[in-house]
Amino acid sequence: MRRSLAVVLLIFALAAAVTPALGVTSQEIYRETRCPTCNTPLDISNSPAALDIKEFIAVRVAKGQSEDQILDALVAEFGREVLATPPKSGFDLVAWIVPILLVVVGLGAIPFVTRAWARKRAGDAPAPEISPEDAALLEDELRKHPG
Amino acid sequence: MVEADDSGSDRRRLIGLIAGGVATLLIIVLLVVGLAASGGTTAIDDALVSGQRPPAPDITLPVLVSGPGLPPAGQRVSLSSLKGTPVVLNLWASWCGPCRDEAPIFETAWERYRGKGALVLGLDLQDLSGNALEFLRENGITYPSLRDGTDASKRDLEATGVPETYIIDKRGRIALHITGQVTELRQLTVPLDQVLAEK
Repeated sequence: MRRSLAVVLLIFALAAAVTPALGVTSQEIYRETRCPTCNTPLDISNSPAALDIKEFIAVRVAKGQSEDQILDALVAEFGREVLATPPKSGFDLVAWIVPILLVVVGLGAIPFVTRAWARKRAGDAPAPEISPEDAALLEDELRKHPG
Repeated sequence: MVEADDSGSDRRRLIGLIAGGVATLLIIVLLVVGLAASGGTTAIDDALVSGQRPPAPDITLPVLVSGPGLPPAGQRVSLSSLKGTPVVLNLWASWCGPCRDEAPIFETAWERYRGKGALVLGLDLQDLSGNALEFLRENGITYPSLRDGTDASKRDLEATGVPETYIIDKRGRIALHITGQVTELRQLTVPLDQVLAEK
């Protein structure tokens, strides 16, 4: 009886551990924002301003507001600087596109650069000159082993 | 033929060197501009130390709590529009303990000087507006305040944090910069009497 109770409790505990949270959590929004006074992500900041903002977020999460609603409210209070990452729209899109573009350009440049290096290395090592005696010896050997 | 190859290689090397040099220069310029923009300038304090009165930056901000000569709450006002009136500009935030401690001194100064033509003006920085209004209510503050959720005006005023206070004369110039908490009323009354006496 005691064993079966333990099994049931274990199943409930595992279920609780794997059940995803319904809606957004305060912690998720802390990671999306930053402390305006110390410029660090909100989730690792304990400045007085950060604590106020954490409370502001927690109250809204408890009310069931969406992530967008809460982030919009924060932007209205502190400006876009409060966001840990720039929005994926308008001019701020540049911040997302440029790094990807640089990686693509870098990867695309690899064949050209390696080819240029290979060509340079080949050009750096000229074929050794063969003396007339060695050349005659080589000819003889080649003649002995045709094909 | 070999000479042509050598000259082509030299040209490519020169172009590579120029491109590398330009890229390095560009990175250095960006770093310098970034450092300059990140604040840390002390032009206002430097001018004050040398006996000059630098012009107050023309910041434009929304009104949090209105007062004489200011538009209603929510509308924007610029510091330059207050020229002709000596201004005690106090930077504060609801989460700042020293701001709470010094607030009664500013309230006393406001009660004493509002009839003499001076304006005590708060500037709430990097704060939640709800908390800011609660702070004013709790501390019985009646002088008006502006609000800036960002750190733009703090940067323009070259302030290092809160609380900080500026006495701005009738010509819109900074006459005094107090870094940190105001602990005595005379820190405000002495310079205010002086700028009020000026033409």
